[in-house]
Amino acid sequence: MKPALKFIFAALVVGGFATVPSWGSAVLVQFGINALILATLAQSWNIIGGYTGYPSFGNSVFYGLGGYGVAIALVQYQLPSAVGLILGVVLAVLFAFLLGLPVLRLRGHYFAIATLGLTEVMTAIVSNLDIAGRNVGLILPLAKGDTLFLELSLALLVVTTLAVAWISRSRFGFGLIAIRENEVAAAVMGVNTTLYKILAFALCAVFSALAGGIHAYWITYLDPGSAFDVSLNVRMIIMAVFGGPGTIFGPALGAFALAAISEILASKITSLASIFFGVVIVVAIIFMPRGVADLAQNFRRFGWRYFQENIKAHRV
Amino acid sequence: MSDPLLKVAGLSAGYGDMAVLRDIKLEIARGEIVALVGSNGAGKTTLLRALSRLIPSTGQINFTGRALDELTPDEVFALRLVQVPEGRQLFDQMSVEENLLMGGYRRPDSAAVAADLQRAYELFPRLKERRRQLAGSLSGGEQQMCAIARGLMAAPELLMVDEMSLGLAPVIVDLLLDTLVAIRKEGVTVLLVEQDVFSAFYVADRGYVMESGSIVRVGPAKELAEDPEVKRAYLGI
Repeated sequence: MKPALKFIFAALVVGGFATVPSWGSAVLVQFGINALILATLAQSWNIIGGYTGYPSFGNSVFYGLGGYGVAIALVQYQLPSAVGLILGVVLAVLFAFLLGLPVLRLRGHYFAIATLGLTEVMTAIVSNLDIAGRNVGLILPLAKGDTLFLELSLALLVVTTLAVAWISRSRFGFGLIAIRENEVAAAVMGVNTTLYKILAFALCAVFSALAGGIHAYWITYLDPGSAFDVSLNVRMIIMAVFGGPGTIFGPALGAFALAAISEILASKITSLASIFFGVVIVVAIIFMPRGVADLAQNFRRFGWRYFQENIKAHRV
Repeated sequence: MSDPLLKVAGLSAGYGDMAVLRDIKLEIARGEIVALVGSNGAGKTTLLRALSRLIPSTGQINFTGRALDELTPDEVFALRLVQVPEGRQLFDQMSVEENLLMGGYRRPDSAAVAADLQRAYELFPRLKERRRQLAGSLSGGEQQMCAIARGLMAAPELLMVDEMSLGLAPVIVDLLLDTLVAIRKEGVTVLLVEQDVFSAFYVADRGYVMESGSIVRVGPAKELAEDPEVKRAYLGI
């Protein structure tokens, strides 16, 4: 597809989502909100994981901090929710700067494991904070209907995707891609790698925290286990990678597709749903390891041979 | 040599507690090709890293009259002190042209970058033929061309080329050496760091010989090439 066509298609999808409350059931609206929030998370992971090449397992920390920002502002200080969202973003960005500095010195698996640790550490810390309701959690005041949240999360996904689109064609984005491709070469070519990586991490933090804030406000309940959930982080990575990391629309596409598949499986064959979900992922990795975005681009050219080539190229 | 482009004095550097370089003194005038030679482990690459500020050091480094000690690698790069790193360090999954454009990454003037791209293709016609090809799929010689061209795209005042000849056929090395001479004609000063003493002295005006972290000989390249001490140590005759 041509880029212009892609954007028109994306605009149609956005328009479609916006009209869901007028014709869809309550269940569909709720599914929509969840899918949009997951898509936002996958998309913001795309910045650090897809473009910069740093597979972060710590993005759910940002998500959790965003949620706690809203919860603490609403419950402990009776502040408006917008202030809570800002508080969450500030917390998450601070976290990204403070911990990004040491953690982003690691690469590959080491970086993944270190960030994985961050999630566990945050659970432990927050479980012992009175202001965050310790391990009991916080109950937020009930908010207005689902339509508002659908619009909020839709707007957030659009903004996040626009940010990624900007990154993909900006000098900043080229710097990130250079870091992904060869960090030594990027440094030698005058890219301030430390600064760029931290900015990318912080940008992730902004969008993930907003997603977490909206989600907490919607669900009206937050505890450390659900706020700093490692499996949520795994899900956003799978969705981004399934869709196509380092592309503009891939991660959102992957999130919608996988959210729909897992929702359908969960309602049809409850007990085996997670096994089937696993099978979908394994099959996807074998046949289309570079994601849906790459499939859409090259299937026309190669036809069914596309899958064969992938198996050969990656020796599975 | 009244106003050298690069002036290094009393430079010491190392990794952690281990000192590698001791009291290095080095000067490069505008428009020179200077060869820095020495055997494995003499500290040549460490010196380049210190000059690019990739590792910390003590002592003075002056480039175009500015002290580099406090600068970060990207700031040094912005002053147009550009390194062509050992092992080429290309962006393997990007095309040749994208690699070259990454060299001009910091430059705001896109017209000048486009002009330099054409210039690079004139210098290396082979790269033009292969400009859509992935850099990782090039031959060793072509990769080295790509790395040098990428360095040139940054419009360097001083181009520091590290171990250019490593693993390349002699005929390719000769071709690359000729290119360095052509580059110098356009006003780029070159610091060539080499293990291959003979080829380095062939194109250089002056040479420095390093041995276990110190400069042990300085002089015109022709004289150094004839120096019995250098011959004995590096050529084995």
